[in-house]
Amino acid sequence: MKVGLFIPCYINQLYPKVGIATLELLEKLGVDVYYPTNQTCCGQPLGNSGYESDAKGACAVFVKNFKEYDYVVGPSGSCVYHVNQHFDILPQTEDVKKIRKNTYELCDFIVNVLDKKVIGASFPFKVGLHKSCHGLRGLKLGSCSERMVPYYSTEELLLKEVKGIELMSLNRKDECCGFGGTFSVFEEAISVKMGKDRIQDHLDNGVEVITGADHSCLMHLEGLLNRNNQPIKVMHIAEILNNSI
Amino acid sequence: MSHSDKAEIFNKNEAKVNWHDKALWFVREKRDTAAHKVKGWEYLRELASGIKANVLSNLDEYLIEFEANAQKNGIKVHWASTAEEHNKIVHSILSETNAKKVVKSKSMLTEECHLNPYLENKGIEVIDTDLGERIVQLAKEAPSHIVLPAIHKTKEEVDELFQKHLGTKPSKGNPEYLTNEARKHLRDKFLKADAAITGVNFAIAETGGFVVCTNEGNADMGAHLTKVHIACMGIEKIIPKESHLGVFLRLLARSATGQPITTYSSHFNKPASGTEMHIVIVDNGRTEQLSREDFRSSLHCIRCGACMNTCPIYRRSGGHSYNATIPGPIGSILSPGKDLTKHSSLPFASTLCGSCTNVCPVKINIHEQLYKWRQIIVKDVKQPFIKKTTLKIVGKVLAQPKLYAIFGKSARWLITYAPRFMVYSRLNTWGKSRELPKIENGNFDQWYKNRNKNG
Amino acid sequence: MVTLINGIKTEIKMGRESILNSIKRHKPALVLVPEINLNLFSEDIDLLETFKHNVELVGGNIKDLEHLNDLNSVIKKLYPKAERIVDEVSASNLGTVLITKETDPHTLENVDLAIIKAEFGIVENGSVWISEDQFPIRVLPFITNDLVIILSKKDLCLHMHDAYKIISDRKRTFGLFISGPSKTADIEQCLVIGAQGAMSLTILLV
Repeated sequence: MKVGLFIPCYINQLYPKVGIATLELLEKLGVDVYYPTNQTCCGQPLGNSGYESDAKGACAVFVKNFKEYDYVVGPSGSCVYHVNQHFDILPQTEDVKKIRKNTYELCDFIVNVLDKKVIGASFPFKVGLHKSCHGLRGLKLGSCSERMVPYYSTEELLLKEVKGIELMSLNRKDECCGFGGTFSVFEEAISVKMGKDRIQDHLDNGVEVITGADHSCLMHLEGLLNRNNQPIKVMHIAEILNNSI
Repeated sequence: MSHSDKAEIFNKNEAKVNWHDKALWFVREKRDTAAHKVKGWEYLRELASGIKANVLSNLDEYLIEFEANAQKNGIKVHWASTAEEHNKIVHSILSETNAKKVVKSKSMLTEECHLNPYLENKGIEVIDTDLGERIVQLAKEAPSHIVLPAIHKTKEEVDELFQKHLGTKPSKGNPEYLTNEARKHLRDKFLKADAAITGVNFAIAETGGFVVCTNEGNADMGAHLTKVHIACMGIEKIIPKESHLGVFLRLLARSATGQPITTYSSHFNKPASGTEMHIVIVDNGRTEQLSREDFRSSLHCIRCGACMNTCPIYRRSGGHSYNATIPGPIGSILSPGKDLTKHSSLPFASTLCGSCTNVCPVKINIHEQLYKWRQIIVKDVKQPFIKKTTLKIVGKVLAQPKLYAIFGKSARWLITYAPRFMVYSRLNTWGKSRELPKIENGNFDQWYKNRNKNG
Repeated sequence: MVTLINGIKTEIKMGRESILNSIKRHKPALVLVPEINLNLFSEDIDLLETFKHNVELVGGNIKDLEHLNDLNSVIKKLYPKAERIVDEVSASNLGTVLITKETDPHTLENVDLAIIKAEFGIVENGSVWISEDQFPIRVLPFITNDLVIILSKKDLCLHMHDAYKIISDRKRTFGLFISGPSKTADIEQCLVIGAQGAMSLTILLV
């Protein structure tokens, strides 16, 4: 099984440590991982801003980069969702169809393709899980609170097996953090208020570290935490799962 | 003003935003509790969606069937293509019966058609009889929520309003007292009214009857005390069979307020002897929406308001920020079809979190339609030059790995440039309340290259 | 006629035929109406107890009568101050105001109490079905200050799907599902019982 590592543009440029943790984690799990170096971006910021048709070139680059792999795995739910959902703007060749089907969010890939839950990580902290909307409701990484279906959460399956971790429960289990890509600047007031409210929920429940499977939400929350000097750290779930003491 | 401008103003009073958010989240939680008690909730949603899809695909036949059956039962049926026609028809019915005082229960359609000012201009008194609607009517405001029209008002504001208009005593906003005073005031209006206008929740093709749901009993008080009952409905309110009400009435109140059913679900099939019953069937842009394949299912909406209660943006920006008859997520996919330019900011007033889609009792894919409206808006509505040009350039850069590598090599490019292209003229919107990410040494590309060199 | 309004292509049209024509032109291919599989909603629960619970949940009172003969005394005890009473139930005789189909509904303005019979109750939501057959003037259950509804314990159905089966053969004039007293939460989301309709609802099970 050949896996192509999909490192979204903002992680590549701003959070290389998340990319590194993802790669190391997959290698520890015995996966044959390759990183195609010509990656740019999945086109999500353009699509969500209404400029989907200007993103066709970026989407085509993505397909070219990853078409030879059995799976494509990335540490960002919303980018993966964009590939699954919005690559419908390209002509639906066999390559495109395969990539839309085989591009996985990291946790989803570990649990549902590798069929593994216990990774042997250790992380003795109080952790709050931020369930990113595109992962939760788009990729269905878990059950969302609106639907009357049996509860499940892919990220929690993995986190519960981490030694020493204490998963804190939140008052609003899956409310949006307010990042929303360009929403974060076009609707700055609401975006900031949503983020503040999410953080308060974590604070109220004694969380030390906020984690999640989408670092764009975490970037937004981290920006607020740092500005307001609040005592919570953010870490991508790959960093926690890759952590062994 | 765009949604974001109005939302920013609303957010100047954070305590009020917090109250608004919590009040509506509480309704969302009551909805969850109510839905959890129903065995087969998700199946019910599927049925409702399926029935509505069938309705849209056979709408003309159902309307004809409805009309014939209603007429058989002595109900008069009128058709209006536009809001103006609707208002004219209502006015002509009122004139023919010499009605000067009208009591009206909640109807988003008559809001959409601006019926009240039209009738008032003709010298007719129109009293909104739903308490929340009466409050906003006295305040000369529009409803800010389709189920909770006065959710933006504090009880102290209502107290003052009632003192001024109804002559009540100061009560520090005592809800029992104020509600009871409104009851007395409205009783008087009901008893003196010449005609009643109501909305329609569901109209049944098979029987020619219609159902009106309220908690206050105001629709029935009006309809049964007056000689003329005019019920106004959009064409999409039709359902095929009476048995389908079983599906919709189970979903409606639970989704709206968390009640298992509204207090009154009144089934009107025939006028009482000595009275007239009229139905006005209105298009006003709905057949246009029907023609838009991507947006057609927005016509499934049964006006429960659940998407507003769940929407994290609606809860924190208030209904008036949307500047549309129907605010919130559903309004943001309906309104652009009516006036794309005026409502062009609404589809962007969302993080596309998808909570609306999952809470919707008739399974409208609201967040996907928001995404689709965005694609249309940037093409059809003039966009700020800088935003448009930069996003196009970004598109080109991202399509060429080598060019992207040059731009992206320095993480500073994104830090300084990305927020800028996102905000065009407002240079540092991101940084107003948030820190920018701390720049690490090099990007992932460089790390990977070095590792391979060393490994 | 096609014209450009507010940046969107809009068609100007008039009345019934143009609406129907427009629908014909724009509607999608026929989608079949789904069959409802009622098995997915069946539940093995105590109908009477759940009904009682749900009536209280929606703000109503509910009382079990041991004997039908107790009807008068129980109602009097519940509503001792009621003077103007419309009684439409044969088993009780508390009526002080007589009404017929010809009565002007406005004269019911000051009715203190109305007593009517329900055809059946719906367990899932604590509502009952009442229709014009049980009260000659439509406004009665709304305009009365308090409302007593008599319901036979045998006449309960599980959910709304069954309810619509039960009423499918009725003479269709006017009827309603009524669930508790009138209420509103329009002032700061505070629930207040007693809006424009009846201030209280008591269901007496016989």
